[in-house]
Amino acid sequence: MSAETAQHPGAARVGIGGPVGSGKTALLEQLIPRFAVRGTRLAVITNDLVTKEDAERLRRSGLIAPERVLAVEAGACPHTVIREDPTLNLDAADLLEQRFSPLDLILLESGGDNLASTFSLELVDYWLFVIDVAGGGDIPRKKGPGVVQADLLIINKPDLAPHVGVDLEAMVAEARAVRGDRLVLVTNCRSGEGVDAVVAAIGRDVLFDAAS
Amino acid sequence: MLKFDTILGLAGDPALHERLHGLEHRGAVETIVLEPRDMARHRLRATTDKGTDCAIALARDTMLEDGAVLLLDEARAIVVRSAVQRWLALVPRDAAAALELGYHAGNLHWRVHFEGARLMVALEGPEAAYLERVAAFLEDGRVRRADG
Repeated sequence: MSAETAQHPGAARVGIGGPVGSGKTALLEQLIPRFAVRGTRLAVITNDLVTKEDAERLRRSGLIAPERVLAVEAGACPHTVIREDPTLNLDAADLLEQRFSPLDLILLESGGDNLASTFSLELVDYWLFVIDVAGGGDIPRKKGPGVVQADLLIINKPDLAPHVGVDLEAMVAEARAVRGDRLVLVTNCRSGEGVDAVVAAIGRDVLFDAAS
Repeated sequence: MLKFDTILGLAGDPALHERLHGLEHRGAVETIVLEPRDMARHRLRATTDKGTDCAIALARDTMLEDGAVLLLDEARAIVVRSAVQRWLALVPRDAAAALELGYHAGNLHWRVHFEGARLMVALEGPEAAYLERVAAFLEDGRVRRADG
């Protein structure tokens, strides 16, 4: 008696959280074409406070079929719809799976929030938290739940470090210290540098690549 | 890598227990130990105590449980076990301190339950990180620790 089967188990659901302006949408714009190249069947959900700004940006980008992008308006603190009551996002994810089955991956971008923001594991299988160098080199040692508990912490905008007086090496070291074994990656989501490693991490941990 | 998308049953189920018991005697039961909060995941990659790489992708309406059996054949079994939940037990000095502590724990989104006068906080990271957040309460005696 074995549970191994060849059935499609439904899409992996991966959350992307982080403070306002840290680069969550820019990361999405870098991830989408990379997953397309891999042949990953993808859809996206964006969360905004009271608009559909991020969804419209992605729909206009030409990176993904516009109908594969759904918007959720939190209407309140963004973490409420990714943690306390993720019903709106669960419904959106289920709708995308119905419309575009089979999907391999749904990326859920949270609205910009604070360092305490986390995702419900009822909603996502794996989640990323994006902070940026310009937000301050001291962010990791503040040990916000987002920074500490995310499956993958991304430090974005490393090119800005010399301009904002941040010691990038120390920031990365402190992030690794507060996260224990959990992964920390540095990306430049304008140039795309470092994003391949994000794709590899998602590929390994929830798309189940044999080796990445 | 072994892929699993269903749970065959629980280790304590009469239908499975005897076969598992036999495999245990042959050292052929592998265990995946997950932190309590990771038991909520539907999809994850994990390694058994014997080093087998496992990819678990369950339907959205299926939940992992302590004792979930992922594989059971003549040669071996793979069973998921939840690590023991660690708790921090806090006792407020009086009603005012209890109100403050409850408000504080809510603000921090801690997972808690109540045992009489004790607030039990589920530890999902190092205990020291939690103690830092209530240091002021402990220092001035509004709250004290109790044995878990």
